[in-house]
Amino acid sequence: MLKRTMLGVLLFACPLYAADNQWVLAQSTLTYHVSHPLHSSDGVSRAAKGKGICHEATCEFLIAAPVKSFDSGDSNRDLHMLQVTRGGQFPVVSVRARLPEAALVAPTIHLDIEIEFAGQTAHYKQVPFTLALQGNEAKLSGTIPATLSDFKIDPPSLLTVPIKNEMPVHVEMTWRSQ
Amino acid sequence: MGQKMRLSLSPAILLVCLLVAFPLAAQVTGASLSGTVKGPLGAVIADAKVSAKNVANGQVTSTQTNSEGIFNLPNLSPGEYEVSVTAQGFSPKTATVALANEGTQSLDLALDNRLSLQDLGLETHGSAADQARLDRRSHMLKVHQRLGLITTVPLVATVILGSGAGGRNTSSTDRNFHAGMGAVTAGMYVTTASFAIFAPKIGETQTRGPIRLHKALAWIHGPGMILTPILGAMAYSQKSNGEKVHGLASAHAPVAYVTAIAYGAAILSVSVKF
Repeated sequence: MLKRTMLGVLLFACPLYAADNQWVLAQSTLTYHVSHPLHSSDGVSRAAKGKGICHEATCEFLIAAPVKSFDSGDSNRDLHMLQVTRGGQFPVVSVRARLPEAALVAPTIHLDIEIEFAGQTAHYKQVPFTLALQGNEAKLSGTIPATLSDFKIDPPSLLTVPIKNEMPVHVEMTWRSQ
Repeated sequence: MGQKMRLSLSPAILLVCLLVAFPLAAQVTGASLSGTVKGPLGAVIADAKVSAKNVANGQVTSTQTNSEGIFNLPNLSPGEYEVSVTAQGFSPKTATVALANEGTQSLDLALDNRLSLQDLGLETHGSAADQARLDRRSHMLKVHQRLGLITTVPLVATVILGSGAGGRNTSSTDRNFHAGMGAVTAGMYVTTASFAIFAPKIGETQTRGPIRLHKALAWIHGPGMILTPILGAMAYSQKSNGEKVHGLASAHAPVAYVTAIAYGAAILSVSVKF
């Protein structure tokens, strides 16, 4: 009995002393929303890749997707968005977040997020995300309150009226512990 | 009295000055190392641990960066040092620096993120040429859009004038006016179409959404815009010879109407977009 208890303690304790705890993005949906007085649309990408490393009680997560992978259902609009977001020169949008490892248990976590997009970097503080842990998987979802001006993007216009500056990005991710 | 007081105080002031000056002089002996620790994007990193190891004797001196990311390691012996920086969430970094006998050596360090885009296996490098092609495409399609809208004016005018050009009691002036307006429409149409046809194509893009209908309608109004003037010229010739419009030329008006309707539908198909 004592041996089993000792073994259990050792098995539980070992990950704490392991060099790094790593996560890999198993599934994701990134959706941007843009709106105009006459029309609104959503662009969806499921092509994001991501990794996470927890080291010395701090976790860093990096997610990135090709800008051209966002699909709004209209190829003409997608190419126009690719152009205005300077996707030819900066083909990847990346999202980086850091948080204490201990925070990865609460149902709602607040992330400090850094987004590189269109050749610009924007920071968002304390963005709320819901977290659901299932086995070795963690499901995260939340909305980043991005705007076009954060990335110095000239708003495209319809009938000479520009789209709204707000471009919230809804993120749904499933991370798998390695 | 005041002068005496000042004279008697002078030795005391001198003594105080000497006492204060000696420690200051002692502090500046040896070398010091200072600098700023920043992240990969240039943001300063506070509380980063900075250690300088004297390569010759192995002695290690450590400090932490302040809230502005600045560190200072005073009173170091001259020589070569291995400077290492660690900060939570960043990869450690080591640099080598040689310190002279006196003075302050500056060393700014930039830490990298633990994870990089290369770790994800994504192609991160775009090119100015790719962006220039996208810019050119957008520019040409904007011109196409504007010219297309402007072309509707002579097109509608041509259709309206056509009703007075083909009847029994029409004059050659009406026909000439209709033909002239038709020529303007055809010219503007060709110009408009060329901006779409010669706009750079972006590879691996599958056409989706309303643009598919817009392009499909071009297969109706495109041939229609070629056929209508040809049939119109035939009809014009027959009318000018005093004949009644007959044969293929009699299809001029129906073809023109179908062309105009397809053209209008093509504009509408992409109007509700940005």
